[in-house]
Amino acid sequence: MNFFPSRRTGLLPAAFLLLAFHSTAHAHLAVEGAGEIGNGALHPLVSPAHVMILLGLGLLLGQRLPLDLKKPMGIFALVSALALTLGTTWKIASVPLPVLIGAAMCIAITVALEWKPPLVAALGFCAAAAAGIGLDSGVESGTTAVIAKTLLGIWLSMNAVVAYTAICASNGADKPWARIGIRVVGSWIVAISLLVLAFSLRKG
Amino acid sequence: MNPATFSYHTRRAAWLTPALFLLLLVLLPSTASAHVEKGNVGGFVSGFTHPLTGLDHIVAMVAVGLWGAFLGGRAMWTLPVVFPVVMAFGGALGVLGVPLPAVETGIALSGVILGAMVAFAARPPLWLAAVIVGIFAIFHGYAHGEEMPESANALTFAIGFVISTGLLHLGGIAFGLLVKWPWGRIAVRAGGGAIALVGFGFLFNFL
Repeated sequence: MNFFPSRRTGLLPAAFLLLAFHSTAHAHLAVEGAGEIGNGALHPLVSPAHVMILLGLGLLLGQRLPLDLKKPMGIFALVSALALTLGTTWKIASVPLPVLIGAAMCIAITVALEWKPPLVAALGFCAAAAAGIGLDSGVESGTTAVIAKTLLGIWLSMNAVVAYTAICASNGADKPWARIGIRVVGSWIVAISLLVLAFSLRKG
Repeated sequence: MNPATFSYHTRRAAWLTPALFLLLLVLLPSTASAHVEKGNVGGFVSGFTHPLTGLDHIVAMVAVGLWGAFLGGRAMWTLPVVFPVVMAFGGALGVLGVPLPAVETGIALSGVILGAMVAFAARPPLWLAAVIVGIFAIFHGYAHGEEMPESANALTFAIGFVISTGLLHLGGIAFGLLVKWPWGRIAVRAGGGAIALVGFGFLFNFL
């Protein structure tokens, strides 16, 4: 039995949902009762820049057929774990937004063009995305147990979103309209990134 | 397909979409934080409503989807993929204050030309259609970028803005898909004519 959402119902509403999930200001608010792991899991989902990168990367991996997530997800899992640890121990406040948005744009361009990058390039995208989000998601304070649980939640969430999106995207490979939808989402991420980069330049 | 599988698939499809959108609606109340800021300068809501506040923008966005669906095939996705990216480029020019002449005229003309293309069932080569759409996208993006509030959260504004624009395209595509039927073809061409008239209204300051 296939427990993944159908191609028709799953991907585009989920993409819209993730993009609309925009409450940046609440990124560091704890949801009462959710626990450290739960709050950590929510962290990447409430940062629009992170969502754009994760969504773009998932779509990119899902466009590479036949779907083989072992190496890409292995790299992503490894680098994200390292980056989260370094981001916490080095007390990195945040990765500059233009850097994260630039990464999202590069990934989304390949999605919009439906360019299936070679494995090495795909692994590079995975490593860069994991490093950017991981370093930007370091936990600032708390006991060792709280920090460890929060980091675990973030790590699980990051990896789940990428893998789930990739699986949904690959399920739509035989449906022309689903492939179009994926490219449209890619073009939206490119457009958003362009606007944000321009705004950063104006402010800078 | 196995009937049992189909039945399961259909049942699952029936509840999954409403469930996802219900979840979306539950999450959307967080947009209320936009009202913390003074005036219409919030993030997502401000960006989302921005393309919806001008009839000239609305008709042009719908016309892009309408024309894409009318042309069919690759055009149906090429135009809505090209438009937001080029529009964002125009938006970047506007944000950075790069001078661009006759922006309002270009926006009004977009309604006229794109509407006329649909009304007269014009079928130029895809590259030419993409160029036409791209040129007008720059004007629309420029106007939005120039008007982008300084105090808005750039990222959430851009997300709302692009999603709103994309949904207008989807609305146009949905309408344009009526061309499968003879009466639908008439309705779509009439819609194109109406869009062209609105464009004329803006061009000659009737609207």
